[in-house]
Amino acid sequence: MSALITAKDLSFRYDKSERRLLDRVNLAVNAGEAVAVVGLSGVGKSTLCYCLSGIIPHVYQGELEGEVLLDGMPVKAMSLPQIATKLGIVFQNPDHQLFSFTVEDELAFGPENLCLPREEIDARITSALEKVGLAHLRLANPQQLSGGQRQLVALAAVLCLQPSVLIFDEAMSQLDSDGKKRIKEMILRLKAEGKAIVMIEHEPENLEVADRVLLLAEGKLVPFAGVLPEATEG
Amino acid sequence: MGTRMSLDPRTKLYLVLCLSTLGVAVTDLRLLLVILAAAAVAVKAAAGSILNLLGKLKRFIFLFLIIVVIQSVFTRGGTAVLRLGQINIITDTGLVRGVQTLLRFLIVLVAAALMATAKPRDIIQGLIQLRIPPELAFMVTMAIRFLPLLRDEAVDMLTAIQLRGVNLKKIPLLRRLKMYSYLLAPLLISVLLKARDLSLAMEMRAFRAFPRRTSLRTLYLQPADYLVMAMATVFAVAVAASAILLS
Repeated sequence: MSALITAKDLSFRYDKSERRLLDRVNLAVNAGEAVAVVGLSGVGKSTLCYCLSGIIPHVYQGELEGEVLLDGMPVKAMSLPQIATKLGIVFQNPDHQLFSFTVEDELAFGPENLCLPREEIDARITSALEKVGLAHLRLANPQQLSGGQRQLVALAAVLCLQPSVLIFDEAMSQLDSDGKKRIKEMILRLKAEGKAIVMIEHEPENLEVADRVLLLAEGKLVPFAGVLPEATEG
Repeated sequence: MGTRMSLDPRTKLYLVLCLSTLGVAVTDLRLLLVILAAAAVAVKAAAGSILNLLGKLKRFIFLFLIIVVIQSVFTRGGTAVLRLGQINIITDTGLVRGVQTLLRFLIVLVAAALMATAKPRDIIQGLIQLRIPPELAFMVTMAIRFLPLLRDEAVDMLTAIQLRGVNLKKIPLLRRLKMYSYLLAPLLISVLLKARDLSLAMEMRAFRAFPRRTSLRTLYLQPADYLVMAMATVFAVAVAASAILLS
């Protein structure tokens, strides 16, 4: 099976930093597979997400070596809107991702940017809301929803662009147990639909939905043995 | 509360432009009063009541008084109404200028309150349909959406300071200002972080993929909108003509 997203010998160092956060990282995620990346704070988990999603080098710059292939195409050569149709990213804080006054407007934002016809936008919104189980909240104000519901709205907004790869950058870290449960259920569903999923995590109980767990430490990505380095030192 | 007249946000924007332009251009006090009355009628029609607006304006009374006094004190010429020795403190010309400025402020504030009667999502859609670039329209969205959150955040920080035993009401003004300055850095950092994350989230949802965008919703001007815009135009022309005749 060919991987939907691949990182080949990926190395990265921010301009003002001495340290390479990523050091010849290799990663391949297939369709229908969920890979979790764990690691201590500040080891570069989010930087890995930024590299995979093209935010590095398109938004943030630094010394980047190696390449990331998205559906066989190098992300370096793609524009962010092109990437957005193939890869969706759900960030940690739902409040920093949602900006519209209704759930419907929030979901319409992406397809509107792609200049899709109104009927298609409406169909995508309906489908995404049904998928995340929030069809009854279509006209609700996202600000008035619970943290878990807001994160599901953020996910639905990404799903409206119909990406084949999804990145969850600590998307469950600010949610209560019910919110985490709902996001994990969604990850399982998306996996079953054949999406390739990369999830950045630091809570062991969230790793159960992943097929593989990798540890990012000192810039290297290695199979996770079940204990974080800090805990090993203790 | 009375019945509301449902108008397109573009019609409200046109009304605001007409009223505030007249308010700034006209100098005659009687005409300024007429414009203010028209603005109040428009708000009453759009919001159903102006009591809420009057309540909000109450907060500005002190500011309004200061404006009138400053304008009247610093305007030269005219007959003295209040003198201190040889110096004219307030003159009749100064008073007229002060009331003029006050009326202009009120017209602009009341006219702007018209926009507050429109739903934010309709305002944005209206701007987009007026062919305002999406970047600018979304800047307006961000301002409307995040300014209240910013205020809440500042209030939370102030509460946190007071919970540490600082009674802001009892400390001297200079120390209080210094205390507020401590809030500025964390507030600014929080705003910048939020702005950075939001712009990333927007970029990753194909923002600016094309110079134009399509829209899920479309606003349509109704006969009432055309009627109101025509009335506003006639009113603007009549006031402008009167201003010319009276000058």
